[in-house]
This record gives sequence, structure tokens and C-alpha cells, in this order.
Amino acid sequence: MPADTQWPTFEVFQQDRPGRPHKNIGSVHAPDAEIALQNARDVFVRRPRCHSLWVVPATAILARTRQEIEAGILEPLRADPAGATETYLVFQKRNQRNAMEFVEHVGAVEAYTPEQALARAVDTFGLDSGWVWWVFPERAFARSAEEDIPSMFAPAETKTYKRPQEYRTLTMMKEVRRG
Amino acid sequence: MQENDPTYEEKLAAFEARIARGEKIEPGDWMPDAYRKQLIRMISQHAHSEVVGMLPEGAWITRAPNLRRKMVLLAKVQDEAGHGQYLYHAAETLGISREEMLDQLLSGKAKYASVFNYPTLNWADNAIIGWLVDGAAIKNQTMLARASYGPYSRAMVRICAEESFHMKQGKEMVILYAQGTPEQREMVQDALNRWWWPTLMMFGLPDGESHHSKQLMRWGVKTRSNDELRQEFVNEMVPEIHALGLSVPDPDLHYDVETGDWVYGPIDWDEFWRVVKGDGPCNAERMAARRQAHEDGAWVREAVQAYAEKAADSRAISREAGG
Repeated sequence: MPADTQWPTFEVFQQDRPGRPHKNIGSVHAPDAEIALQNARDVFVRRPRCHSLWVVPATAILARTRQEIEAGILEPLRADPAGATETYLVFQKRNQRNAMEFVEHVGAVEAYTPEQALARAVDTFGLDSGWVWWVFPERAFARSAEEDIPSMFAPAETKTYKRPQEYRTLTMMKEVRRG
Repeated sequence: MQENDPTYEEKLAAFEARIARGEKIEPGDWMPDAYRKQLIRMISQHAHSEVVGMLPEGAWITRAPNLRRKMVLLAKVQDEAGHGQYLYHAAETLGISREEMLDQLLSGKAKYASVFNYPTLNWADNAIIGWLVDGAAIKNQTMLARASYGPYSRAMVRICAEESFHMKQGKEMVILYAQGTPEQREMVQDALNRWWWPTLMMFGLPDGESHHSKQLMRWGVKTRSNDELRQEFVNEMVPEIHALGLSVPDPDLHYDVETGDWVYGPIDWDEFWRVVKGDGPCNAERMAARRQAHEDGAWVREAVQAYAEKAADSRAISREAGG
């Protein structure tokens, strides 16, 4: 038996429609980003709708809850270490009550380090605006392309037998009761 | 030990206040060790149930009566594989790895829903499983979609949305069988007779005997009790079963005008424990099939690994070439 590797974790972000934010819907294991995208499609896009998927190695993400930030885990803003700044994408979970509130893309900041990016994000958006905060460098993620839509996402739209409303069980039961 | 932390009581009170306010607990937030442990137990068992749950119906994919039923069953079994993955992911956010969970399943250490240790003897079993077993699962999952742990509740919402087709395709088949030939009616009644009691057991032990329930309800993981959900399920199912001209295999079943409940007879919890402990009709078969599938999939994992390594090599070469 070969070593049963489970491979690194990639967090998966789905965009339902153009213009909507990418939201974190779960994770997959894969040996690289290309296969992570394929796995993400198989696991999470068995139903419409999806316009775009992003995958990001979990190790590239700095994730903190508001509670952790308040507890002082956040490093202070330090001025420029060596090197250049880069773009970090900022994600937040903004609502706390509903089940369907995801960690979703809200913007971007320029920073030298992930810690600094998080501090900048908190500064920009205000700590009270998010319950969960994620940042990762823009270069870290892989994404599906516009031309992947027909092969990756469109087939789910045609499989109408997966829609509950395709089954007329309510009407059928009414007919049975009427005899 | 978390309890040795001098601020433990204070943290616990703050945690419970958050739950009382209806806030979701997210990975990274403070939580009692027992909450983490209970969630890992529940979510991983739930994930294993989805994975093992593919087997009873999966066996019928090649014997579907027509192409539409085959596509439907394929999609349903595929969904269950996906649901297992959503749930392994949710459990991983609590600090256990998927590898550990799969090891626990394949080594026989982990538990999964005992209902999947019963055999599927004919096609009508798929109809009844969809209607009863998925119907019961949806009751439980709808409650869990409101669970206090964010990743679990989000996974459950997705699962519920996808499961409703599972239930309805089964119900559609049951209705058609019930209106069919005497042989077809007999087939579906036979399947109903065999699946009714294992389905009622899916809701778990009676409230007085369920040791985990109290803490799970206090911490907002469960919001309704086992007996409450079981009774609601029975109340919904019995009138429909009767309307279809089918019968419930329970001589004690009767309607209580006072409470409006369909009162069911005693559940054979000895049978439940026998099956949970490994002595059900199909436990050994299910585990053997699961292990076989894992071993048979080894070449796929190897090929994926080799492909990724080759892709990494060619990226490195193209970088060296300045491409």
C-alpha cells in the first residue's frame, strides 16, 4: 500500500454570480492548486449556481476571530521590513446570527506581512464590522477562468432531476387522498 | 487542563452568554474542551454515516429499472459522498485531521448511523430509504442547521438543501408503487416493514437515556430532543402511509386525541445496541466494502500525486528557462 497521504488543505471560495463576493464554503485536500480546483468543483458545485471558484492553501491564510483580535493577538503595525509590499485580499464574516453567513471577500490592502495586512484591514474596515477576519496574499490563490464555466459549472444547471421541485409529491398525495 | 485556568469560569460564562444570544462560535473562538470533543464526535460520526450511507443504495445503481432512476440514484449517492466531505471539513476546523477520521472509520473504531447496517433487498428499498431514512435525516439536519458552531451549521444548510430531493424522489417512488400492481404494493409494504423501526432508531436514545443530549442542548448544538423529533416524524408519516393504503408494522400504534400524537409501541433498543456494537445484518459487509473501496482507490491517489509532481517539475523547468 502506498503512503495514504491526505494532502494539504485548500480553502475554497465560491462566487454564485458575477459581481457577488467570493465566499468560503469549505475546504478540500489536494496535492496542488489545479487538482484542488477540480476537487472543489466535484465536492461543492453539484448544484447551480457557480460562476467562479478560488482555492487558497490553508497555510497562506491568516485567520482571526474578533475575539482573538480583542484578546490582543494582533501584532502592532510595524513600518516596512525589507522588501516590497504586496496586495492582500481581506475577508470577513459580517453577520453572526444566520447559518448562511460566510467568510466573504470584502476588499484588499497593501502590506509587507500577513500580520500587517490584518492590522490594516481592521484599521480600514473597523473591528466591529467583522466577526471573523481572514487575509491572504493575492498571489497565493488559484482561480477558475471564464472559459472553465461551460465544462466545470454549466452541467449542474442541466441536471434538473436534482431539483426538489421536479418531484410533484405534494400534488400526487392530494390526488391519492381524493381517490 | 482547561479547568485549571483561573479564568475558566469567566470564559465559560461568556461562552454560554454568546450561545444564549444566538451567536455562532467560529474556529479560533474560545470554547470548552467538552464542546470541541462532543462536536468532533458528532460531526465525524455524521460524516462516516454519509460515507457508509452510500453503500446500501449504491449497490442498486447498476440494477436501476430505467435511465432516469439510474441518474437520480447516481446523483443521490454522489451527494452523500459530497456531504461526507463537507462534514469532514467542518470537523477538521476543530483540530482533528481527515486522515485520523478515515483511520477511525476503516479500523472499525468509529461509529456511524446503525440504519446503514440493514440490507437493501429489492428496488423498493431505495424508495423507502429515500422517503423514510432521508426524511428522518432531514428532521435531524434541519435542527442541526441552527447549531451554535458556525462551520457545522453552514455544512448542514447545504446538506439540507440537497437532501430534500433525496426524500422526494423516494416518496415519488413509494406513491407510484402504492398505486401499482398487487406485487408492487407488496414489495413496497415489505420494504416499509423492514425499514420502519431502524428509521425510528435513527433519532437516538429516548430523552431520559441520552447522556450527551443535555450538554448538547445547553450549548446550542442540538435545539430539540430525540423524542420530540421522533414524535414529529411519526406524526407526519403515519397519515401519509395510511392514505397510500399501506400499514405501519406496529400493532401498538394508535392516535391519541388528547395530544394529537400517533403513539408508537416500544422500540427494541436491545436490537439497536446489537447493531451499533457490530452485530447487525450488514456491519461486516459494510466495513469490508469501505476498506475495499479505499484500497481500490489507491491507484487514483498515486496517479494524482504523480501528476502534481510532474506539473511542479515542468513549472520549475520553465522558471529556469526564464519562461
